[in-house]
Amino acid sequence: MNNSITSDANAPVPGHKSEFKKKCHSAWIKTKAFFHGNPPAIIGVSLMTVILLGALFAPVLTTHNPEKRVARPHVAPNAEHVLGSTRNGRDVYSQVLHGARKSLTVALFAGIIAMTIAIAVGVTSGYLGGKIDEWMNFVTNVFLVFPQLPLLIVLAAFLGQVGSMVITVLLGVTSWPWGARVIRSQTMAIRNKEFIISAEVMGESKIRIILVEILPNLISIVFGGFLGTVIYAMGAEAGLGILGLGDATEVSWGSMLYWAQVSSSLYTGAWWEMLVPAIALALTGGALALINMSIDQVSNPKLKTGPHMKLWKKMNRETMKRRGLL
Amino acid sequence: MSFLLRRLSFYFTAFLIAISFNFMLPRMMPGDPIDALFAAAQGKMDPAQMDAVREMYGFVDGNVFEQYLSYMQSVFTLDLGPSVLMFPIDVTTVVGMSLPWTMFLALGSLIVALILGVTIGTYSSYRREGFFGQFVPPFLAFISNFPYIVTALLLFYFFGLQLELLPLAYTYDPAIDPGFTLEFIGSVAKHAVLPMGSMILVGIATWVFNMRNAMINVLGEDYVTMAEAKGLSSFRVMYRYAGRNAILPVATAIAMAIGFSFAGSIMTEVVFNYQGLGNILLKGIMARDYPLIQAILLILVSAVLTANFVADLLYVWLDPRISK
Amino acid sequence: MKEALLEINNLCVDYVSANGVARAVNNVSLTIAPGETLGIAGESGCGKSTLAFAITRLHKAPALISEGEIIYNGRDVLKMSDKELRDFRWNDVSIVFQSAMNSLNPVITIGEQLTDVIVAHKRISFKQAAVKAKELLGIVGIHGDRLKSFPHQLSGGMRQRVVIAIALALEPKLIIMDEPTTALDVVVEREILNELYDLKEKFGFSILFISHDLSLMGEIADRIGVMYAGNLIEIGDAKTVFSKPSHPYTKGLIASFPTIHGPKERLYGIPGDPVNLLRLPTGCNFQDRCADCMDICKKEDPLLAELNVDYHAACHKL
Repeated sequence: MNNSITSDANAPVPGHKSEFKKKCHSAWIKTKAFFHGNPPAIIGVSLMTVILLGALFAPVLTTHNPEKRVARPHVAPNAEHVLGSTRNGRDVYSQVLHGARKSLTVALFAGIIAMTIAIAVGVTSGYLGGKIDEWMNFVTNVFLVFPQLPLLIVLAAFLGQVGSMVITVLLGVTSWPWGARVIRSQTMAIRNKEFIISAEVMGESKIRIILVEILPNLISIVFGGFLGTVIYAMGAEAGLGILGLGDATEVSWGSMLYWAQVSSSLYTGAWWEMLVPAIALALTGGALALINMSIDQVSNPKLKTGPHMKLWKKMNRETMKRRGLL
Repeated sequence: MSFLLRRLSFYFTAFLIAISFNFMLPRMMPGDPIDALFAAAQGKMDPAQMDAVREMYGFVDGNVFEQYLSYMQSVFTLDLGPSVLMFPIDVTTVVGMSLPWTMFLALGSLIVALILGVTIGTYSSYRREGFFGQFVPPFLAFISNFPYIVTALLLFYFFGLQLELLPLAYTYDPAIDPGFTLEFIGSVAKHAVLPMGSMILVGIATWVFNMRNAMINVLGEDYVTMAEAKGLSSFRVMYRYAGRNAILPVATAIAMAIGFSFAGSIMTEVVFNYQGLGNILLKGIMARDYPLIQAILLILVSAVLTANFVADLLYVWLDPRISK
Repeated sequence: MKEALLEINNLCVDYVSANGVARAVNNVSLTIAPGETLGIAGESGCGKSTLAFAITRLHKAPALISEGEIIYNGRDVLKMSDKELRDFRWNDVSIVFQSAMNSLNPVITIGEQLTDVIVAHKRISFKQAAVKAKELLGIVGIHGDRLKSFPHQLSGGMRQRVVIAIALALEPKLIIMDEPTTALDVVVEREILNELYDLKEKFGFSILFISHDLSLMGEIADRIGVMYAGNLIEIGDAKTVFSKPSHPYTKGLIASFPTIHGPKERLYGIPGDPVNLLRLPTGCNFQDRCADCMDICKKEDPLLAELNVDYHAACHKL
């Protein structure tokens, strides 16, 4: 934090610096402060960057068509097929990169759907209160206590093998209650703050108060909830996939697991077919969790991290030594 | 006790909504629901039996309301008809056999993860400037957020297949007769290590972080400072004075965790071929055994709601202010 | 002067924050004699509570006692090991916190909160401790049946009495009271202070009384110290500090409080805001708000000078 302050003061500040540039500058300082002395953030963001780049540039980075038979069954990793081939002769490396696109798209959109519902329900319910709150809270609680995944499994089963679009929507509309609950209680906490009351007294419309005064204060928990939902949705997609409830003809991490399971790849020694998508899922989940945790760490000053705590530790050790306690 | 009564009526309402949803489900599906429901049963059941099942699901002559009443009646009398997959065994019997194993897995792992997580969370909040507080939570956050299925697969592969340390399938050794013997219990425990272990791994971080954040809020309270000023041991200050209060907000998260744990159990059972509801559910899905699927959904909802009520009882016991 | 019970020498407490190191208590020295009541007054944030917490080393990161000594009965509290410190706490010095509502744990019975401190320090069983706890509640005028109650089942005044009973549990020689009656209404405040004085007669402990309420302090304290921005700027017998203060800040502080008994007078505030501890000016910390500010005030720190026997103030004007 000390660093960011000095760099702020030393930065050349010409009088006509545009508003946009100033904003960029403060965002840059915030970003630097976020990573400074925060290894989990660095690890999480780097991992996620690699994964996202891999998914984005999958067509460039891969040499084989993920949906075509390009090798003999269960070829061990070699120079031609760096991560081996599946029972059906697909290139695992190409599949895992292309699968990332499908799996991450499902997870991201499910997260967006869920958080949109969560914000709508949570903010309305928390801000308006009264009967509306009572009803919305009831619905939220009902959804909250229902076992979502079994419900999903049954729904998927009734619908037959469903495509990733359907899975996205199903995951989105079933995983909003937790976010709604957190957002509701946070909204209730800020509803009575001075700046909201003064906005109300000044006659601002409810919609405007919600959008301009309340929402910006919810950003960190909304983002936290979003990451949590993405992790959950990604796992659920994989789970539905391995149960054979997804569309096995699409290439996703879930369908890769399904085919690996069907071909008993672990028993026959072809571990790569199963473990590669599994590890991809693990790394993505872990990386997202680290990012989520770091945001929490930065937005919650009580967690006591950052460079000044290092200084405190040093000073404390010195005084303890001086008093003969160490 | 009005709090518990309120909760009880809430769960009852939630249950009614769940079974109504279950009633609507086959009617919302594309195509003729009755045909869809019994396509797989063709040839296995005789027409009279099929009619009985139909009646049970409310596909009787009459309007939707009459159908609904007929369905409700069969739900509350637990008359869910025979399973298609394991014809002519009753669905209730099939579910009854596997439910205890799922409860064991889901609730057992939840309780262990809760205890471990709360302990680690408390300690890491108290030592948050030290190595433990700085290193352990991020590490757990990382490994705990692997999807259920992935953790299960990884443990299955490394401990089961590679190291051959632990059994790979079933709830207990089929060669042993079930009974209250040391051999049987040992076998059950051995078979539960991997599935339960993988569920604990996935569940633990939630509690560590919930507890740590709750602790950090509580540690600033005057009563904790006063407990310290009283010269009590740091163990007592940490667990009795701070931990006792920090656990209250954590306990409210149990409600949601119960649902997650049952979901996790279903995934994990499939990987480890553990003979619980998840396994049966998967078989039911493959065989298009809709009566079985419906019964499992119903029983899962009931189990989760009941577990939630138990969590409420726990909460009342934890917070003396609530019973007023 | 009698042999001091507690002697604080050049105590400095720092807060390490993201924006720099702030000195919350700067070079404070004072003594408390056995049986004496010393009041410490000042605005919120002047370091009076930090000083009180430092005496039993209750500060947590990012606070740090960087310099000084706290001598109790010939032993330096700052050099005690964890074990010695635990024994010292409450046995010798107990604390009554600002709000009883917050200093009692809401989910533990008051019985347990009373007995556990006795059991922790004395080699007696919980049963014996419970007998002692009943006795203590009786002393502060609460029926022994209340041991099974939770704090939320008691009124505000009763809770504060329970806190005082806990403070008395081990019959300490010094009780630190950090604004003990601020959260109570005036009638209950009066009642509790009267009881407190009866108890003081009976047990003979010393009191370190922390408050922003100088008029209250004028009534009960033997000596008063006034703090501003971490510095002790005036200390002496209560009567003189209250009726003939020397430091401009103390004057302002007294003028800003209504007196309970005296004639109605106009109240005056002190202009300006308390200084930012991270951006202290050179010279006197009070310079911006002082009506009598001179050139030297902006150059040199005023030192605590002896004006009279046992009477000190830190101002260039004196």
